[in-house]
Amino acid sequence: MKQLQSIEGPGAPAGLAGRISFLGLASSVLLLGASAISLTGPALASYSPPTPAAFQDEEDDSEDAEEGKKEEEEDDKFLALVGGEIHTGLGGVLRNATLLAKNGKIHSFGYDVDVPEGAEVVDLGGMRVYPGLIAVSSSGLFGGGGDLANSVDPYSQNMTLALAAGITTAVNGNTVAKLKRGHVKGLVVKEDAFESLSYSNGNPQGQLKVNENFQRASEYLREYRAYEEEKRSNKDAKEPSRKGVDDKSVSILRGEIRPRFAANSRTDLMEIAELAQRFGFRPIVEGAREGWTIADHLGRAGVTAIVTPRTRRGKDERQVAEGGSSIENAAKLYQHGVPVVVVPASNGISLGGIVGQDLLHLPIEAGFAIRGGLPEQAALESITLEAARVLGVDYRIGSIEVGKDADLIVTDGDLLHYQTFVQWAIVDGEIVYDKQEEMFFAHIRPRPESALAPEKTVDAGEEGAIDPEGEEEDGDGDDDDEDEDEDEDSEDK
Amino acid sequence: MRHSIPTQSFARSLTRALPAACVGLAALLGGASTLASPGPCVGEGDSTAPAKRPILNRDPNALAPRPPARSGAPAAAPVAGMQGGPGLAIKAKKILTAEWQGRSVVNNGVVLVKDGIIEAVGPASDVKIPSNYEIQDLGDDWLMPGIVELHCHIAGAFGLNDTVYLTNPGLRASSDVIPGNEALRLGMAAGVTTVLYIPGSGTNIGGQGILLRSGFDTFERAEIRTPGSMKLAQAGNPERWTTRPNRSFMNWNTRNTLRRGKTYADKWTEYEKNGGERPEINPQFEIFRALMANMAQISTHTQIYQVALKTITDVHDELGIPVFIDHGTFDTWRLGKLIEEREIFAIVGPRAIDVPTRGFINWSGSNPERIQGCVAGYQEMGVTRIGFNTDSPVIPQEELQLQAAMGVRYGFDNSKMDAVRGLTIVPAMACGLDQSIGSIEVGKIADLLWITGDPADPRSFVKEVWQSGEVVYDISEEKRLW
Repeated sequence: MKQLQSIEGPGAPAGLAGRISFLGLASSVLLLGASAISLTGPALASYSPPTPAAFQDEEDDSEDAEEGKKEEEEDDKFLALVGGEIHTGLGGVLRNATLLAKNGKIHSFGYDVDVPEGAEVVDLGGMRVYPGLIAVSSSGLFGGGGDLANSVDPYSQNMTLALAAGITTAVNGNTVAKLKRGHVKGLVVKEDAFESLSYSNGNPQGQLKVNENFQRASEYLREYRAYEEEKRSNKDAKEPSRKGVDDKSVSILRGEIRPRFAANSRTDLMEIAELAQRFGFRPIVEGAREGWTIADHLGRAGVTAIVTPRTRRGKDERQVAEGGSSIENAAKLYQHGVPVVVVPASNGISLGGIVGQDLLHLPIEAGFAIRGGLPEQAALESITLEAARVLGVDYRIGSIEVGKDADLIVTDGDLLHYQTFVQWAIVDGEIVYDKQEEMFFAHIRPRPESALAPEKTVDAGEEGAIDPEGEEEDGDGDDDDEDEDEDEDSEDK
Repeated sequence: MRHSIPTQSFARSLTRALPAACVGLAALLGGASTLASPGPCVGEGDSTAPAKRPILNRDPNALAPRPPARSGAPAAAPVAGMQGGPGLAIKAKKILTAEWQGRSVVNNGVVLVKDGIIEAVGPASDVKIPSNYEIQDLGDDWLMPGIVELHCHIAGAFGLNDTVYLTNPGLRASSDVIPGNEALRLGMAAGVTTVLYIPGSGTNIGGQGILLRSGFDTFERAEIRTPGSMKLAQAGNPERWTTRPNRSFMNWNTRNTLRRGKTYADKWTEYEKNGGERPEINPQFEIFRALMANMAQISTHTQIYQVALKTITDVHDELGIPVFIDHGTFDTWRLGKLIEEREIFAIVGPRAIDVPTRGFINWSGSNPERIQGCVAGYQEMGVTRIGFNTDSPVIPQEELQLQAAMGVRYGFDNSKMDAVRGLTIVPAMACGLDQSIGSIEVGKIADLLWITGDPADPRSFVKEVWQSGEVVYDISEEKRLW
C-alpha cells in the first residue's frame, strides 16, 4: 500500500489516500483500506487547487474558453464529502474517499477527486456515506394532503424526521417525491409510480374483468403492430379501434408502467404470477406474505415483492399447502430471483412512544430481513436501489454513481445496525438535515464539535481491508506529482 | 389437607404428593409454593401448626427440575442435559453470563449442564468436560440465558380484564392460561423463556399474575409460581371504568384496598407466629400474604411522573409492599433518584421514547424539547435496575430484544452489556426468581439460548432453546418460527 501522507494544518488538500481511477472501482466490488491517516486540518477554504481536468467541459479545453468557464464555475455549487467511507449501494466500499457533488448531481467520487475552490466541504472523519433511502410507501411526510404541488409543507416535522431516518425520497400517494426540505419546487421525481390493480381470488368477478382487459389490450396491441407493419406498404391501412380497450392495461403491456397488486395469500400470488406470464408484464406485489412458499413461481414470473419482513400471520386453516408468514420470506424470495423491497409495518412517522415499526426505523425492518437470511447487500438494496427500480427512478437515485442525483446520507456506523444515526442527509447536493442542528437526536451520542476529531485514524488493520488490486491502480504515476504540486500550492499561501 | 409446611425438605417431599396444579412452584423452587393460601392449592382446612414460611428460592441446591415427560405421554428417554439424562457440555464463542454486578461475558467458554442445572461455566481452558458428557459446539455463535418478560398478556385466552370492582386483588390470570400457545411459542423462539402473565389494566387492581415457562405446553410444567404478582394500575386505563374515576379517588381507593390487604396479611402473620384465634379467610386478600412475605410482588402499570411518584410514596414507602415498575415510560425516568435510593426495579416498555408533547414537538418555541429515550433517562438519573418489557401483544412478545435495541438506540449506554442484563437477570431479580434463572451461573436452572450474535440486534436469531436443560426449540429439527 502506498504510504499515505499525514496532512496537517489549514490548506490540507482533500485528495487523501492513494489515487485510484474511479472507473476501475465502480465496476467492481472493492473494499479499500487506507492506512492510518491523521486528519487535523480543519478546512479547505484557503486551498486553491489546480483546476482538475475532470471539471473541464470537454469543449472548454482550449485556453480561450478559460474566461467563460470560470464564470460558469462561479455559479456551480459544489459539495464535497471528504474522508468518508463510501458505500455505493452496489457493493463497493471506498474507505477514506471523497465524494464531490456538483449542482445536485454526483460529479465524482473516489481517491482521485480534487475539491474546487468555494466548495462546501464536510469532513466525515471516517463516517459512512450511503445513498439516501427510499420509502416506496409513505404518509404524512410532506405535510398537507396528497396534492404535492399545492400542499407541501417544506418544513414539516415529519419530513425532518424522515430525513433523520435516512429517507430522501418517498412515495406520496402515487407520486415519487424528494424530501427536499426547505423547497417547494423540484420535489417530484415521477408522477405515476404504479398502476394499482386488484386481482384476488376472493373477487372472481374482478379477476374476470382484469383478465378481459388484458386480453383486449393484448389483442389491440397485436392488431396495432400488424397495422404498423401494413402501413409501410399500404397507406390506407386501417388503424385498429381502441374502443373498449382499457388504457391502463395497454400501458402496462407496453411496459410504460408497472402494475401493483396488494396480495398475500399463496393462491392470489400464484394467480398474479400466472396472469403476468400469460400477458407478459412484470408485476409488483405488495405484502407477498406467503411468497416464500412459491418463490420459484414468482421468480419465473418476474415479480418484484414489497415486503414487511416482520409480518406475522398464521396460515388459513383451510389451506392444505404450507402457508402463513415466515421470517425467511424476503430471503427465500431473493434466492429465487424475486427483487425484494422492504417497507416497515407503518408507513408514517410515529412519536407516540412505541418505536421500531415505522418509517423512522426503515433500516431496522431491513435488519429483520437479514435475520431471515437475506444477504446484507440485498437488504441495503431493498431500501435503496431496488426501491428505486420498482419506482422506475433508478436512473436518478438509489445508488452512488456518477451522474446520479446527489441524494446521500452520512451515518456514524453500519446503516443496518440499531445504534446507527444519520448525521447528515443530503438531497440534490444540499444538506437538508444535520443531526446536531436539530433538537430531536442531537443529545444522543453527540457528534464531536468537528467531525475532524483530532488524530482521527482510519484503521486498516481489519481483515481484508487492503485490496491488492486497489493498490495496483493506486500506482498511477501522475498522482504523486499532483500531490506534490498541491502541497507546494498550499505552502505558497 | 394441610399445606402449611415447616421446612423446605418436607416441602420437597410433599410436592410429589400434591395435586399437579400445586407442583409448579414447588418443583421449580424447591417447595417454596406451599404458601398457605394464595396459590391454587389453597388450604381451606384448619391450619393449626404455625407455618414457618421458607424464604423464597434462596437455596440453589433445592432446585428440582420436573421430570421431562409431558403429562399423559409416556416418558421419552432423557437426553443430555435433561433431568435424569447424561451431562451436556455446550461450547460457545461467547457466553453472555449476564451476572448481576459480575462478569458479563466469557469468551470461548463452556457450560456444563446436568439434570437441568448449570453445573459449571467458564473459559474452555478452565472447565474440564467429563468424558461421558455429550458435547454441543455452537461454533462462532453465542450462548445466553433465557429471556424474562414481566409484562405479558399473551399466555392465555385474554379473559383477564374483568372490570368488576375498581380493585380486584382476588382475580387470577392463572385461570386463563393456555400453556405453550402459538404466540407464547413464537416469543419463546425469540428467546423469551419466562413470562409473567398478568391481568390487564382496566381497573386499579386487575388481579394476580402467574409466572410461566413458555417452552412447555402443559400447565404443570409451565407454571413457575402462582401468584406471580399482583397487577396494580395506578392511572390511565382505569379512568375508563364505570364511574370514570379520577386520580385522587383512584389513589385513595387503591390505598384503601392495599391497606386492608396488608392488615389482613399481618393478622395471619401474627396468628402463625403466636397462635390465637384463627383469622377468617378472605379470598380477596389472600394475595397479600404472599406479597408481605415477599413471595410475590406488585407489578405496577405506572407511568408519568406524578403517577409513578405515588407508586414510590404510597405503595413502597407508606405500605412497604414489594413493588416494581412495569411500564415506567413517558417521563417517569425523572424520578430516577428516588427509584434508585429504594432499589426499585424499573421494567420499562412498551414505549421506548418520550416526546414531551406527545407527537407535537414545540420545536419553534423557546423551550425546545427532545426525543428522550426512556431507559436512557433512567440510566442518566443513576438507576441501575433497568429492564425491558413489551406489554405483549402491544409489542409482539418476540420483539422484546428489539425493545432493548431501541433503548440503546435512543441513548442507553450498553458498553457494560446492561441491555442484556435488562432482558435477563434484572427482570429475574424483580420477580424474585434470580436464584434460579436470569443468568448463567452455577446452580441455576439451564434456561439457555443458542443465538447467532448480539441479542439486541434484529439480525441475530435464536437457533436453539433449552429449558431446564431440555431442548424445547431447535431450528435444525423444526420449522423456524422467528
